[in-house]
Amino acid sequence: MKRKSIALCMAVCLCAGIFTGCGKDGESQETAQKMQNEQDKQEKEQPSVVSTVFNGELEHDVTIQVLENDTAVSKGYFAELIEAFNEEYAQYGIKAVDANMDQYLDLANDGPYGYGPDVLYQANDIIMQYAEGKHIYPLPAEKMECFEQIPEAAWAAYRIDLEGTAYTCGVPVNVQAPMLYYRKDLLPQDWENVWDENGNKIPDMAENWNAMYAYSVSRHAENSSQYGYMKSLFDVYFSSGFLFTYGGYIFGNNNTEPADIGFSAGEAEKGAWVLSQLASTMNEECIDDSITTNAYSKLADGTYFATITTPDMYSTFLEEMILAYEEEGLSKEEARAKAEENLVMTTLPALPESGDLTEEGASFLAAKSMGGINGYAVSAYTKHPNACLAFVEFATSYEMMVRRSELLGVAPARNDAADAVGGTSQLLYNNLEAGNIVLMPSIKEVSQIWTPGETFFIDLAKDAFRPEEEKKYTDLDAMKKGLEGVDQQIYDAIFTLK
Amino acid sequence: MRKKWNAGKILDTAITYVILLAVAFVFFFPCLWLILASFSKSGSIYSFDGFFPAQYSTASFVKLFTDTTMYNYPKWFMNTLLIAAGSCALGTFLTILTAYTMSRFSFRMRKPMMKTTMVLGMFPSFMGMTVVYLLMTQFGLINHLGGLILIYASGAPMGYLTQKGFFDTIPRSIDEAAKIDGATNFQIFTKINLPLSKPIIVYTALTSFTWPWSDFILPKLLLKEKNLYTVAVGLMSLDETEFARFAAGSVFIAVPIVILYFCLVKNMVNGIAEGAVKG
Amino acid sequence: MKEKWSRFILAVRDSSWKVKLSAAVMGGGQFLYGSYGKGISYFLLEIVIIAYMALRGVKDIQGFFTLGTQKGDAWLGTVGDNSVIMLLMGIFAWIVLAAFLYLYQLNLKDAYHTQKIIENGKRPLSFREELAQLLDKKFYITVLILPVLGVCVFNVLPIVFMILIAFTNYGGDIVPPELVDWVGVANFEKLIALSQFAPTFFKILGWNLLWAVVSTVLNYFLGLGLALLLDKECVKGKAFWRAFPVLAYAIPGFITLLAFKFMFSYGGPINQIITAGGNTAIGFLDLDAKWMARGIGVLVNCWISVPSIMLLATGHLSNRDMSLYEAARIDGAGRWKQFQKLTMPFMLFATTPVLLSQFIGNFNNFGIFYFLRGGLYVDGYFLASDTDLLINWLYNLSIDNNYYCIGAAISLVIFMITSLISLIIYVKSPSYREEDTFQ
Repeated sequence: MKRKSIALCMAVCLCAGIFTGCGKDGESQETAQKMQNEQDKQEKEQPSVVSTVFNGELEHDVTIQVLENDTAVSKGYFAELIEAFNEEYAQYGIKAVDANMDQYLDLANDGPYGYGPDVLYQANDIIMQYAEGKHIYPLPAEKMECFEQIPEAAWAAYRIDLEGTAYTCGVPVNVQAPMLYYRKDLLPQDWENVWDENGNKIPDMAENWNAMYAYSVSRHAENSSQYGYMKSLFDVYFSSGFLFTYGGYIFGNNNTEPADIGFSAGEAEKGAWVLSQLASTMNEECIDDSITTNAYSKLADGTYFATITTPDMYSTFLEEMILAYEEEGLSKEEARAKAEENLVMTTLPALPESGDLTEEGASFLAAKSMGGINGYAVSAYTKHPNACLAFVEFATSYEMMVRRSELLGVAPARNDAADAVGGTSQLLYNNLEAGNIVLMPSIKEVSQIWTPGETFFIDLAKDAFRPEEEKKYTDLDAMKKGLEGVDQQIYDAIFTLK
Repeated sequence: MRKKWNAGKILDTAITYVILLAVAFVFFFPCLWLILASFSKSGSIYSFDGFFPAQYSTASFVKLFTDTTMYNYPKWFMNTLLIAAGSCALGTFLTILTAYTMSRFSFRMRKPMMKTTMVLGMFPSFMGMTVVYLLMTQFGLINHLGGLILIYASGAPMGYLTQKGFFDTIPRSIDEAAKIDGATNFQIFTKINLPLSKPIIVYTALTSFTWPWSDFILPKLLLKEKNLYTVAVGLMSLDETEFARFAAGSVFIAVPIVILYFCLVKNMVNGIAEGAVKG
Repeated sequence: MKEKWSRFILAVRDSSWKVKLSAAVMGGGQFLYGSYGKGISYFLLEIVIIAYMALRGVKDIQGFFTLGTQKGDAWLGTVGDNSVIMLLMGIFAWIVLAAFLYLYQLNLKDAYHTQKIIENGKRPLSFREELAQLLDKKFYITVLILPVLGVCVFNVLPIVFMILIAFTNYGGDIVPPELVDWVGVANFEKLIALSQFAPTFFKILGWNLLWAVVSTVLNYFLGLGLALLLDKECVKGKAFWRAFPVLAYAIPGFITLLAFKFMFSYGGPINQIITAGGNTAIGFLDLDAKWMARGIGVLVNCWISVPSIMLLATGHLSNRDMSLYEAARIDGAGRWKQFQKLTMPFMLFATTPVLLSQFIGNFNNFGIFYFLRGGLYVDGYFLASDTDLLINWLYNLSIDNNYYCIGAAISLVIFMITSLISLIIYVKSPSYREEDTFQ
């Protein structure tokens, strides 16, 4: 029996060897052939892929499945959008329906087997990964109504260069970047005199981190159960912006070169220092994800003064605050009005050039942050590309973008819509134009940055609560070393087995 | 002498109950925490006084079952129930039959089969998930609850060694007696061994019912439409702020399993060894 | 071997032309000998298989070697070859081919057997009688067909597939629509390059073994102990007491893990109580909490696994021969002696496979530390944390990067080690060697 199985093993191994042999032989010829074929095809068809697919002839009597994100569905925006679209296109018999699938669904996995949606709304890094595998169609962006209104910076996030031709694979809908949330009613009574040095009616805490730090310290000193700024530091999405401000980056060459990792580049260690100073004003909850999940209710009950997260969470904060005010005995309308008045969402405060949050009269740098641009894309596995394009056109029209922003509190990518909505959307939009929003890389390797980054930030946060003699990050050099370690780990994770 | 023995017995009983209480506490406390959390009024775990909510209400349960536009819990629940019941019935049937056969019949392929299944069970299973997905796309069983039942039920016999161990302890003399009376192998199985193996059937049924309830990976892979989700997948798709709903949903998962347990509990123990043919 | 061969030659010479017809047309011999039902069945089977082979089998086997030649391009609307599907269908075709050869050999043997029966002047079994046998003497065939088929499709096929994947370049950028190719042992060569991380490997392996042994022993004995405790005569309301562990069992594992993670987190209830008492919060599961996190992992795993072992043990315990205990008691054996000499051997006999599968399950327990303490790379480890098991490390190194082929190669190596160990233990165990000890 035993001998038999050994023999079998050997036979299998042998066979495997043979397969490789013939695989290679056949392969070289075939690849050559294939290349030839493909080149021919490209020369003939490639420039016109977009126009052959989107030939402008609307398919009639079809149903297209649209995947939206959960917030858009739960706030009722998506139902409105579909209804409006279906009314408009009833004459062609085109009907859009909710694809009713997971908002993070992986088109590259499901699409080829025919299980994906026709139109999908996802973040730019995800969509562009699909584009690399040609799972979504390139769009005739220049011909779309929204083209002029959306800034070049946003379009750039959806541009890809395949075999020498540039394609646009998605339509930007809204800009996502970390935003500062704080409560006006928790500001000190006399803030207009004491905490508004430049007298612009915006409290300094919302303008620079030094003031935020000072206020956090004083608020906690006043009452030890209260805190100022609170945030779980482990989250790379939010914490890495501090590094970027001082010269750090993710991947080199505009986030396309995975071998060049730059978390420690420039003076990124100053960003780490800022984070560690901020951590010292918080409590141990900043080490794990506790604050991320409890910020909603703790901001509402007044334990925290400020936090940062993405703009689409605005409505969640608002609802928590309304509940809190209702507890205090206000009526529903009063509570809503008061919450809307007091909850402020704005762009991130500026960082001191020196990285020292206690410095007097510091000069400031505009804070950079990691961000993304969510948008629509058309699946390459759809049977009705023109109907899909019509839907995307409709969904990115001025009216729908404004409505989206009203209902969801997100910042529209359209210039005119951002103007109409005003406020923070405009600020965020300006930040995008000024290059302060570092878009998430759209290469696969980005999945390896999270764990090394998280570990470092956890370590940094933990350090603030270690006894003096056990502290690891006591000076900028130690922080620099730590960040270099992060770079090395990311590099190892990507290339060890490549 | 007699008195002392009595005292020892009382002490023994007392200690037994103390341990039982401790065990019950250890197992029940986290469950209780989850149950009470699901009745929390604020819907957030961070407004608790220590372990338990400050105020209670049934709002999250009402929301769980009535607010179905985003998270259709009743639908998920029925899906899971269907899958669990299907794979429980089919899986138990196949497993018991396999185990019985491997325990009672001797044929050429038996020992190699035993060794093979032993070894097969050791392959790190998450690597195989891609393949299961590919297979199901080829069978056209993506987005079909039946596809899941098929996989669970066919996977179940892999664990037959547990049940075989049980059958190995049922005296063979019972079979032989029946054989002399002219019963066929089929009759011996249905009329004699099956009634004797209630405890292991209960165990098998419980485990194969529970598996689909708690499995997350397979349904996530094979069910793309939200209406077809199972409870586990649905709960994982909840927004992070929906804690009370999550707790309520998790607590409610346990209900059918506990009901099933109480239905089956009287069959958990049988006393064959005392009666039957022994000796 | 030689003897077998000569027997075969003899049979070939000895067989009638009718049997030889069976070699060309399956079932032909049986049909001519008067077993019409069987003859026709064999013939139909042959037709079905040949039809499958002609329609797609041959193409599938070809595809198995080439793994696709035409790359698909969704933009141009070209439907290309999907290498992975081709590999899968290729394996399937091989299986069908093997089944065909087996049937073919069965058919020849059967025809020859029929000839012998007729030559001896006996009557071969009628088709109906043969079918009836399936419910009696060959009951096992009837019973095992479905499970074996199911296991083959959903367990064996994936495993074969994964093993073959280890010899391809599938993964990373090379996923459909890109074409996958056979690369021989290149992936294993890369693994040798990994040997520079041997320190991490041995550190993780050490902890992994410790974890598997401790968890298995703890789970097993706590489960058994609980079952014995509930089996005591003095316990009233057994169903009620047993319901608590069942409740724990009824809550899905991942929910339990998330709940425990929350309880032990900095913002969780335990730390709330600690800080309310004026102490500093404890990082039960954080970066520096090596042994504490490991201990919590073991305990949480107990909480999850003990109930099912208890249920199983309860069933088995009721199968004990109580008269033996009676006798032991008369001989003056104490409770510990009874446990040692009667209960333990009985339970070990009945549950060795369970113990083994528990051990392997714990050895490969991916979920527990992934949920409790995921997302950390600790100093002194290469891309792993000090609570990670080999399977978590494997995940970090390969699956997380989509390097399926490397992942398959690593799992193959791990699989060979674990399966060899457990196979040896199993084959040496009483529940394999002396299956009738307790009958």
